[in-house]
Amino acid sequence: MKGRWRRYLTGYALIAPALLAAGLFLYVPIALSGFWSLTDYSGLGSPEWVGLANYVELFGDDLFVKALRNTFVFVLLGMGIGPVLGFLSALLLNSTVRFRGFFRAAYFIPVMTSLIVVATIWKILLQDDGLVNQVLGLFGLPGHAWLSDPSTALPAVVVTSIWQGFGFETVVFLAALQGIPRELYDAAKVDGASYWQQVRHITLPAMRPTIMFVYIIGIIGSFQVYDQIFVMTGGGPINSTRTLVFDLIDRFQALNLGEASAVAYVLLAILAILSYVQIFVFERER
Amino acid sequence: MKHLVRWFVVIASLALVATSCTGDDGGDGGGATSPGASPEPVTITVVDYYGEATPLSEDVIAAFEAEYPWITVKYEAGDWDSMREKFTVRVTSGDSPDVATMDMTWIPTFASKGIFADLTELSGGQLNDAPITDQYSEGAVEAMTFEDHYVTMMFDFDAYALYYRADQFDAKGIDVPTNWDELSAAAEQLAEDTDGDGENDKYMFEVYGNDCFHWCQFLFQAGGTILTDDNTAAAFDSEAGLSAMEYYRSFLDNGSGVYWGEAEGEPIRGIKDERIGMFLDGPYYMGLLKDGAPDQSGKWKVAPAPYSVEPGSYLGGTGLSIPVNAPHPEEAWLFVQYMLRPEQQLGVFTLAGAAPATEAALASPELTQPDEYFGGQAPFPIFADTMAIATHFPYVEQWDPIDTAIGTMVESVMLGESAPQEALTDGAAKVNEELAG
Repeated sequence: MKGRWRRYLTGYALIAPALLAAGLFLYVPIALSGFWSLTDYSGLGSPEWVGLANYVELFGDDLFVKALRNTFVFVLLGMGIGPVLGFLSALLLNSTVRFRGFFRAAYFIPVMTSLIVVATIWKILLQDDGLVNQVLGLFGLPGHAWLSDPSTALPAVVVTSIWQGFGFETVVFLAALQGIPRELYDAAKVDGASYWQQVRHITLPAMRPTIMFVYIIGIIGSFQVYDQIFVMTGGGPINSTRTLVFDLIDRFQALNLGEASAVAYVLLAILAILSYVQIFVFERER
Repeated sequence: MKHLVRWFVVIASLALVATSCTGDDGGDGGGATSPGASPEPVTITVVDYYGEATPLSEDVIAAFEAEYPWITVKYEAGDWDSMREKFTVRVTSGDSPDVATMDMTWIPTFASKGIFADLTELSGGQLNDAPITDQYSEGAVEAMTFEDHYVTMMFDFDAYALYYRADQFDAKGIDVPTNWDELSAAAEQLAEDTDGDGENDKYMFEVYGNDCFHWCQFLFQAGGTILTDDNTAAAFDSEAGLSAMEYYRSFLDNGSGVYWGEAEGEPIRGIKDERIGMFLDGPYYMGLLKDGAPDQSGKWKVAPAPYSVEPGSYLGGTGLSIPVNAPHPEEAWLFVQYMLRPEQQLGVFTLAGAAPATEAALASPELTQPDEYFGGQAPFPIFADTMAIATHFPYVEQWDPIDTAIGTMVESVMLGESAPQEALTDGAAKVNEELAG
């Protein structure tokens, strides 16, 4: 009994610093933020209890609804294309391609580059007189004000984000691919399986945990998109790139900490539900 | 149990999201010192968004510290883009600076939330041993006042005038416009199609996108106002508002204007590559032009903003404010007073290229010296004259969402997404909703 206690005590002592740090800097602020979301609070003075009024206010606010919709579009486009590109690139790099090391590094360089730098570069590329329009001009195609047109601004930001992030997905998928036993492919070949049949019946099932990881991390990151939008469009034109975090920061800057906290909790709820659904679906399939 | 554990893991992995707007309750930041300057050593924190060309230079701060040897100034340089966010975080987290440069358009929101110290109480109505009211124009005094007390001391002012490419005006025989009709005619004459594709690409009039301040100048010049006199309803959905909106849009319709939104970057890009040949802006742009387009020295001049019904401008600028939870408000007030002495105020002009706000500085002969960059013109008096008749934005708690609604409304018309009247009606409905809520 004494030995068991000692063992427990050692364990608790070891995790205590991490628990303390998480408690103080994560869970206490989360709880405070939750409380503020139910109050009218400017950050100074005392919060005034308003119940769910901030949440009601949010869902009746056109700007918030637009931000919510834009965020979902951003996530759907980004996560619909990015990981697929990453997976295909990983498949390519996993085969016998010359200069594989070079391509692997090339794909990963944007990941290591500051998002602000990437966004600035793409902003310049996409301007009226930018390289994208100049290249289009070489083929006789008309240029376009990609970031000034409300219908193309959000897709343009999505492209930037995919370009910046798919190298990470490629490297993660590549690592998972290299962990799949070669014998499985050899056996499938002997059985006459085509390349795509091997991908479908061996590669994809074996990579399910990695795919889940990439999607969970990707979706969380996508829902928190802010930096590239701040740099490239400032949330415009006509709020067409305004996202949830942008909306949150706007409310915070206006010292509406109650509403800002409510936005944070809506975001948290969405991510929690989506992550749970993902885990549930993947585990059920397994 | 398994579900509980799973939920815990999910929540924990996402927890960081909810921390993005947390902090402590502010507190009093350590408490104020007793009235009167304390001989105890004190360090005050000053945050400033001016950038490299700040009038709050090392020399000025060193001189202040020499005059008040018990005060050390911890100067923190920032930039306008991120200042508001950083200031909000600091004030709400109890890490308040003692003095901060504040854009005058931020004053309504912050003042209505009680962020600023009551400078009437702190100053006793005196600035550098003279009544505050004697040292500023009437418009500036109004702009510094919220609910019958001072919340900021104006450091520089922003009132709009017309910047134009004088070399092109001379070459093309264009007269300097004084009213809207003349401005339209001048813009059409000035713009050029240099690549022969049928569209103008040089020397155009800048039409700013999502920006309440720029369009509101036209609203003002058309005789309109943003809100009713009692600040209870939108007033821009009016004949004057429609006239201002249609007029602003007309530059894009006839090809004499160039749309400049967030995606286009800083307008100085368009000035450097000569796409922009004429624009309305404040005196701070004198410095930006000199720094950003030094090769265009001698090519620019400034004229009073052309108008339709009423000359003048909305008033902006920078104030020096002391947060309500500043640790050392008395010493902070000493610093504010020091920065508002004429010699420091001149630094606003000589160092930052912007316009000082106090009457004493405005009367300085240095500000009326011919400026080589502006072809020997002394542009400053034009801005000073405009300031004398400028009025500040409505001081209402809901100013932020109103500003956003008007900016979006203007942008939707300029991008052709809405007709002017439709946008005005929608914009006014949103503003009224905010004011009612």
